[in-house]
Amino acid sequence: MSMTAPEPVAGARTSLAGMLVLPATILVAIGLIGPVAILFRYSLNQFVPGQFMVDGLTLENYVKFFTDAYYLNVLLRTVRVAVICTLACLIMGFPLAYVLARTQSRFKNLMVMLVVLPLFVGNAVRAAGWMTAFGNKGAFNASLLGLGLIDQPIEIMFTENAVLIGIVAVNLPFMVLTLQSVIEGIDRNVEEAAFSLGAGPVAMFRRVLWPLALPGILAGTILTFILAMNAYATPVLLGGPKFQMMGPLVYGQFAQQNNWPFGGAISFILMTATLLLTLAANLIVQRRYR
Amino acid sequence: MARLSIEHLRKTYGEFHAVDDFSIDIADGEFLVLLGPSGCGKTTTLRMVAGFIQPTAGRITIGERDVTNLPPWKRNCGLVFQSYALFPHMSVADNVAFGLEMRRMAPAERAPRVAEALRLVQLSGFDQRYPRQLSGGQQQRVALARALAMQPDVLLLDEPLSNLDAKLRQEVRVEIRDLQRKLGLTTIMVTHDQEEALTMADRLVVMEKGKVRQIGTQRELYEKPADRFVAGFIGRSAFLDGEIAAPGRFRSQGGLEIDCSAPALGPATLALRPERLAIGAQAESCTNRFQARVEHVSYLGALLDIDVRLTEHDRMLLQLPNRQGTVEPKPGDRITIGWAEDAGLVYPRES
Repeated sequence: MSMTAPEPVAGARTSLAGMLVLPATILVAIGLIGPVAILFRYSLNQFVPGQFMVDGLTLENYVKFFTDAYYLNVLLRTVRVAVICTLACLIMGFPLAYVLARTQSRFKNLMVMLVVLPLFVGNAVRAAGWMTAFGNKGAFNASLLGLGLIDQPIEIMFTENAVLIGIVAVNLPFMVLTLQSVIEGIDRNVEEAAFSLGAGPVAMFRRVLWPLALPGILAGTILTFILAMNAYATPVLLGGPKFQMMGPLVYGQFAQQNNWPFGGAISFILMTATLLLTLAANLIVQRRYR
Repeated sequence: MARLSIEHLRKTYGEFHAVDDFSIDIADGEFLVLLGPSGCGKTTTLRMVAGFIQPTAGRITIGERDVTNLPPWKRNCGLVFQSYALFPHMSVADNVAFGLEMRRMAPAERAPRVAEALRLVQLSGFDQRYPRQLSGGQQQRVALARALAMQPDVLLLDEPLSNLDAKLRQEVRVEIRDLQRKLGLTTIMVTHDQEEALTMADRLVVMEKGKVRQIGTQRELYEKPADRFVAGFIGRSAFLDGEIAAPGRFRSQGGLEIDCSAPALGPATLALRPERLAIGAQAESCTNRFQARVEHVSYLGALLDIDVRLTEHDRMLLQLPNRQGTVEPKPGDRITIGWAEDAGLVYPRES
């Protein structure tokens, strides 16, 4: 159909489209691709204590990462946290997004604002709030101790659970908003048609709602997974010094150890892991439901 | 296939009566049409039968089953939507098989049922297409096939034709009607399109503001409208306001004395079908005969619509068949019009 469009018009449209994408393209090129390329080059350099960085072409930084159980554990923990957070966001986010998408309430905009509310508070401020609420001497434990329900304070701060809860709280709005917009695009009558054809709520969800919402589910999980893999403030503030994830590890190598080549290598491993896991998940999901 | 019985069905939203005391018995294989202006409660009624809206009061029985409190997936009502509501991610065959799949029918058994349903709607060979690859009319037929394949007790049609263009609509109308007769399906259709309702229905329910105004066949509704609303909604009527001055005598606002068959005294409205009025020499034999001035003439091809004024307060609409040799009156002409005593229907004036 578009082949029949007169050439000059199509040509004009193409050049206009080019103009429209140019600013964003330039920003991404300068702000992302350039630094990443330089980072990759650094990751092949050598780190000599005292001399900072020595030019070279070696894989020893990558070898060091994959042969040291400590670093592998950090990677594993990061993936585990990201997967759990993403699943938790999906399981909690879908019903919420569904209600938001289908509600006829005049308070709908207010409800959407409430979902987005966590994003109004910065990571550091939120984490500080968590500390006062859930620390060993925080309000939560003090109340339970005071009521005599527990003898020992429940350890919440500086555990993996604290980090999980923290990241889910931050990422949930992204999942909900992505899903909501996709579910709103699904004709309500299609669900009703499934019901009238004998499908109960579970069957309707499995055969109709889920497959039709799949593009949104993919987008939402990708978004929250990437955010969780690269989380920085939440693991540092809620996980404490002993709880290491990849984001803080990268920062530590650059800012504290001054080991730029190793920092670069970790960055690349993090990026690659995020990308591969995202692609793998997509392939699995698409193969099952297409 | 079963009879359907609705008893004192009611739905209120706060103070608003969406459906007010709706009762009807629909015979096995009957085609019932719910007709009315938008917001009259016809769709709410249909959705209560389908199970999507919980009635405030009343009872719905399909065959011997009381389905009032059953969820939609346990009612076995085939439903066809205005928007078709096909599953966009499934092929035509999978769409049609969905109801059978939900009944845990083995794939080998489903195939002939799907093929039969598609044959009924003349879409054999479209099995592997997707809804987006079909025209509106074809999607509409897939939706029908999908509802028929599960052999529903009752077929519910929610303005199924209003998204089709005019020519297609007339074809599909006849097709659905033929199919419904052939399969002997108890059917309820909702529409605001009067012509559609009249061509398809065995019986019609005229609704307004949540209330049933009249239930009857096409002829009953047209010849004996129960009230002024039905007289104006089914076909066209010209209305004269006035009062019954004496038994059998209507006096219009403009002072015309009209013979009619109305017993009760008091404020009343006289309704006349425009095509039951005679003009010129043909009016001579009528009991009611008046001089009128032509105000406006519309040439509609097969018909002429003529607006006339009888007095300052009384206006009338005439419809003449455009036969060969019919002389078209001009605005300003003075003509004689007349009608038989029993042509006028008198209703008590509504507030």
